[in-house]
Amino acid sequence: MTRQRFIFLTLAPATLVLVTLALVSTGGALWFSVMNRALRSPDSEFVGAYNYLRLLRDKRFFNALEISAIWEVVTVAGTLIVAVLLAVLVHETVKRALWRNLICFAFLAPVLLPRVAAAFIWRFLYSPSLGLANWFAGLFGIGPIEFLADPKIALLSVAVVDIWQWGLFFTVILVKLLETLPQDPIEAAMLDNARTWEIHAFVTLPMLRGPIISLALVKAVESLRSFDLIFVMTGGGPGTATETLDLYAYQSGINLGGRISYASAMSILLLVVTTVAFTFIWRAGKKWSR
Amino acid sequence: MVSLILRNLARVTLAFLVLIALTPILWTTLGAFKRLRDIVTPVPKLFFSPTLENFATILGSPTIRDGLVNSVIVVAVAVGLGAVLGIPAAHTLARHARRWGDDAQFFVLSLRFMPPVAIAIPFIVIYLDLGIYDSLGGLILVYLVTTISTVIWLAVPAFERVPREIEEAAAMEGCREAEVFWRFSLPIAAPSLFGALVFTFVLVWNELLLALTLAAQNATLPVVAASITSLGKEVPWGVINAATVVLVLPPLVFIGLLMGLINSMVRAGGPKKG
Repeated sequence: MTRQRFIFLTLAPATLVLVTLALVSTGGALWFSVMNRALRSPDSEFVGAYNYLRLLRDKRFFNALEISAIWEVVTVAGTLIVAVLLAVLVHETVKRALWRNLICFAFLAPVLLPRVAAAFIWRFLYSPSLGLANWFAGLFGIGPIEFLADPKIALLSVAVVDIWQWGLFFTVILVKLLETLPQDPIEAAMLDNARTWEIHAFVTLPMLRGPIISLALVKAVESLRSFDLIFVMTGGGPGTATETLDLYAYQSGINLGGRISYASAMSILLLVVTTVAFTFIWRAGKKWSR
Repeated sequence: MVSLILRNLARVTLAFLVLIALTPILWTTLGAFKRLRDIVTPVPKLFFSPTLENFATILGSPTIRDGLVNSVIVVAVAVGLGAVLGIPAAHTLARHARRWGDDAQFFVLSLRFMPPVAIAIPFIVIYLDLGIYDSLGGLILVYLVTTISTVIWLAVPAFERVPREIEEAAAMEGCREAEVFWRFSLPIAAPSLFGALVFTFVLVWNELLLALTLAAQNATLPVVAASITSLGKEVPWGVINAATVVLVLPPLVFIGLLMGLINSMVRAGGPKKG
């Protein structure tokens, strides 16, 4: 077997499968979005940009767009803030390797949970009549709080679960990264009588700028996959208070009515927006982390 | 003195935070062993006479058992094929095709940008037309997007860490590319590759949306679990808790491996994720 053939034989099957599946799904979505295909009947005809034009007049679509944007910002920012603060706290207070490892194990557990399981766990905690969260709030004379039924806080309550999973996971990564930093700049800052928080704010965290930006990117991509959590916890409700774009696309395309074409148009727009946004952020992130 | 108080305050805060991190999981596990009357109490009960009823209900229910079997089959085949196709491709990308490395990496990552609905909606129609809707094979095919791309994404850095000298020495001895890969690179990279496979396993095991849309009778465990709430009039919290525990156990077994993966990535100079 020649070198060329080896390269071809190893790369071709994987590339073929991935490219085919990617082309079939994007091509399929594009094709259906200019038809008027419904889930139940195989007949359909060409309708041009009709579905897209209808989207632009759909209030529920713009609501979903707004909810998705809020979700993205809250979960990414929340995760990073929690991770940075907790990592510094662990780094400063726990010096013994054994304790540090135990804490890291504890913090890794939530992210491994299936989203469906995490959603159930927190629905149980949030339950207004028998949940631990409301019992705890009751101790302080607050409540009962309708965490998932109050449109004002429902999205935030779900975001807490996401941050619980990912913030603690990123904490572990940051704790490990803090351990690998060279000690010289930190010692120099200590000689200058810098306070602990000053050392972290001006020395260690700027040194970790690159990895933190990568983590933010990873989280931003993962936050797009919010469907499981929201679907199980609120199903998009109350009303449309927690209905993100993928949830709305699912509801209109598969659950209710099966308006495949309309949902396809929506997912094509979603695809375009995320691809453009991420290519842009990707470039900016690469430049900025240098 | 002040610093001593501050230090202890920080420790108490940290202990409290660890408690917050773990309480939800522990509380659910506890709930799985409770009878409904021990769950529906105004004041949460920490002590009660435990029961295995909930687990008996779960494992006795045919839908849940089928879901478990389907999950195991779908995940095993999808991750297996992902490894067979993805690992050799990753090795070639890392060693023989550096020119395309960056483009390939961006392509693989862009598959993760793809909203799952954008995959689910076209495929449900195509599967209905082809008559393979609600089949395990169809689900496995779609999962290959996730498994192959994740395996390549994580395995390329693993092969890059294999010392070049070993491969060059083997090539000097007259080993062909395939032999170098099979007898030297693969065993050396094996620990990191295993971590990559575990990560892929967790992703597919936890997947809900595609399974929910592309299967009906042959659903996987997350789908079955998500539908338990509508079993009866009264919400069977004990059963839900037990189902959650069953769903959580397999990924949780791998916690040590995930820790190892993080350690090796950090030591290689920052997460190579971005």
